[in-house]
Amino acid sequence: MPSNRTLPELVCPAGNLPALKAAVDNGADTVYLGLKNNTNARNFAGLNFDATSAREGIRYARERGRHVLLAINTYAQGADIGRWRAAIDEAADLGVDAVIVADIGLMDYAARRHPDLRLHMSVQGSATNYEAINLAHELFGIRRAVLPRVLTLDQVRHVIENTAVEIEVFGFGSLCVMVEGRCLLSSYATGESPNTHGVCSPARFVRWEHGAESLDARLNGILIDRYRKDEAAGYPTLCKGRFQVADDTYYALEEPTSLNVMEMLPQLIEIGVAAIKVEGRQRSPAYTAQVTRALREALDAAGREGSRFTVRPGWQQALAKVSEGQQQTLGAYSRPWK
Amino acid sequence: MTQANLKLALGPLLFFWPREKVMTFYRAAIEWPLDTLYLGEVVCGRRQQLRSRDWVALAQELAGSGKEIVLSCQALIEGESDLKRLKVLVDNGELAIEANDLGAAKLARDHGLPFIAGPHLNIYNGETLAVLARLGARRWVAPLEMSRDMLAGILAAAPAPECEVFAWGRLPLALSARCFTARHFNLKKDSCEFRCMEHPDGLTLKTREGSDFLTINGIETMSGATQSLLPHLADMRASGVGRARISPQAEHCEEIVRTFAAVAAGQTGSDLSACAKGGLVDGYWRGQAGIVKLGETQNASA
Amino acid sequence: MQVPDLVLPPLVARIASRLPATPPSWLLVGLLNQLVRRQVLPADMSLLAGRRFEVRVLDAGISLRFTADEAGFRVDTIAETADLCFSANAADFARMMLREEDPDTLFFNRKLAIEGDTELGLIVKNLLDSVDWSNTPVGRFMAA
Repeated sequence: MPSNRTLPELVCPAGNLPALKAAVDNGADTVYLGLKNNTNARNFAGLNFDATSAREGIRYARERGRHVLLAINTYAQGADIGRWRAAIDEAADLGVDAVIVADIGLMDYAARRHPDLRLHMSVQGSATNYEAINLAHELFGIRRAVLPRVLTLDQVRHVIENTAVEIEVFGFGSLCVMVEGRCLLSSYATGESPNTHGVCSPARFVRWEHGAESLDARLNGILIDRYRKDEAAGYPTLCKGRFQVADDTYYALEEPTSLNVMEMLPQLIEIGVAAIKVEGRQRSPAYTAQVTRALREALDAAGREGSRFTVRPGWQQALAKVSEGQQQTLGAYSRPWK
Repeated sequence: MTQANLKLALGPLLFFWPREKVMTFYRAAIEWPLDTLYLGEVVCGRRQQLRSRDWVALAQELAGSGKEIVLSCQALIEGESDLKRLKVLVDNGELAIEANDLGAAKLARDHGLPFIAGPHLNIYNGETLAVLARLGARRWVAPLEMSRDMLAGILAAAPAPECEVFAWGRLPLALSARCFTARHFNLKKDSCEFRCMEHPDGLTLKTREGSDFLTINGIETMSGATQSLLPHLADMRASGVGRARISPQAEHCEEIVRTFAAVAAGQTGSDLSACAKGGLVDGYWRGQAGIVKLGETQNASA
Repeated sequence: MQVPDLVLPPLVARIASRLPATPPSWLLVGLLNQLVRRQVLPADMSLLAGRRFEVRVLDAGISLRFTADEAGFRVDTIAETADLCFSANAADFARMMLREEDPDTLFFNRKLAIEGDTELGLIVKNLLDSVDWSNTPVGRFMAA
């Protein structure tokens, strides 16, 4: 029996204007983006939007009936947080549909200064339970929370049943194995982390060393992984390296994989997830287009077909191709490692 | 005005030790020159050598000493069973909790219980601190990755509530839904055989070139090296920090506490390098990568 | 339009590698400067100035070397190691430029090699990604 629930919003990433257009053209309901500074968690050189490109992107999306969210999801640093406040003010000025915020001090500012600006709790806010989400709702009126990628499907359902706040979950993309907002591995190795600088394992600390037999990936001099010739490589994110523990050398924390919930879409619709998010503002417009198209078709089919839904090989191939490490997992939702 | 000495706190035990070792440890520690002891399981809900009620009972027993006793809450709260354990701590009715999740801060506020805002609450600025202070935070622990300069700036504008800094121990850097200790032994998390108990200071993770890098501690990933802010105690006090946290380890804990107490009182003490696993680091305090060794500067390739 | 999965025959590489590399480099540099001048390529030249780049088309046996200053791009005639080197086969470069493939995907598959300054590589990648071809005459060839 087809579900009578409304379909979750498909929320897709844009690191630049062409990616935003690719997302909209391929069926995203909502596009999320960041400004060109460390107020957002994909603060990479040459990526993201200034006021002009943001305005054009918002216009492009609006004309086609889509929404735009602005991520201001690093933690405001230190005594002078003017840059973060300015980003909130700019979001209100641009007229985005919501801001995605992690820092509760910043939520407090936004709620007081711009009471009409819709607030979403970022995944970086580490809100994994309904008590935390309900507190942010009570204090700042947050309308949606993005759940960290650590909960099982049943735990997600339990959160939804115990809060009035909309729940957004991750559907596809490179997998963060740690609780978002609570991982300092990057700053331990480099001095810069998602919380402080909006970066994880930042590129300026990455060195690829091509040897005769192998490719070494180093982060600030620390050997993160060593690939044989022709072995599939990953970006040297700390948690996805190969290390020695006791006498074993292996992916001690996590293999380079991507999350892919496609086969679980009917259940996500059934439990009342409000939105499904695609990771990857740092990826190219080609990625945004391919992933958005596949998930749009799959989500529509899951809405029509309910429990009869099956994943079409074409969608799976499209997602498999762009996956980091060429592997995919249902992640915490099903916990094969539990 | 004379400035009081830096106070000393024994942070929550982050490793998994057998019940008897835990009881022996705290009954000894209560005699050490400490102002505060944090008790409770912060890392993993499967660690039940002491259940929440046992922690509360131990806390109440130790509270008779006159020292401040705080009940620390689990940092990653995923489901109803985690919330139930949290509620047992909050229901103790008198002792403050260390909230390591916004949900814990909410429950403390709901019960009119004062709380310490733990290091996992991500307080990186005065506005965030003010929100938590309004909810009832009477002290806060700075994020581990925060530099002295940034902290001093915040404290200059917001001298209260009191600030505590992680001053000794392997740094708890990340939490996950997955268990890396179970993974190492090819076990599932739900049938992990409690292997963490075999590693009272965690499992060392080395790079493929053999250098110590991180420590695996169940679902937590810690630094391989030990952070020591012992050389910076005077600077900490001058910056407005009120309390230094020493994180428990399997050996030498008393010597570490006594050395910190001596140095905080203006005496000289050993550098404690013989008491540290994985070498000593203090990069975070000096605004560098956390892994940077005492007295060295960043070898950034950048 | 899909780029066929084709590797140029070794003969092409053998011949091409004996030709002087300068003419293709001139072509590339001329094209880049045109794109900057027409504001199609939204390049912040201050991020690129003084850096040496190399693009190796492996199956064609061609190596294109150029450098940048505040004003634009020039052919690099100095035989020093580039700050940043991209290597791939011609078909994969074409897929990247036509946005059929994400460079990260090609990189994960080891079809694209990046050597040198990784952050500079990211700047270049993000620069190419941010070109909005729909505003240019070539846009009609780019339609997916």
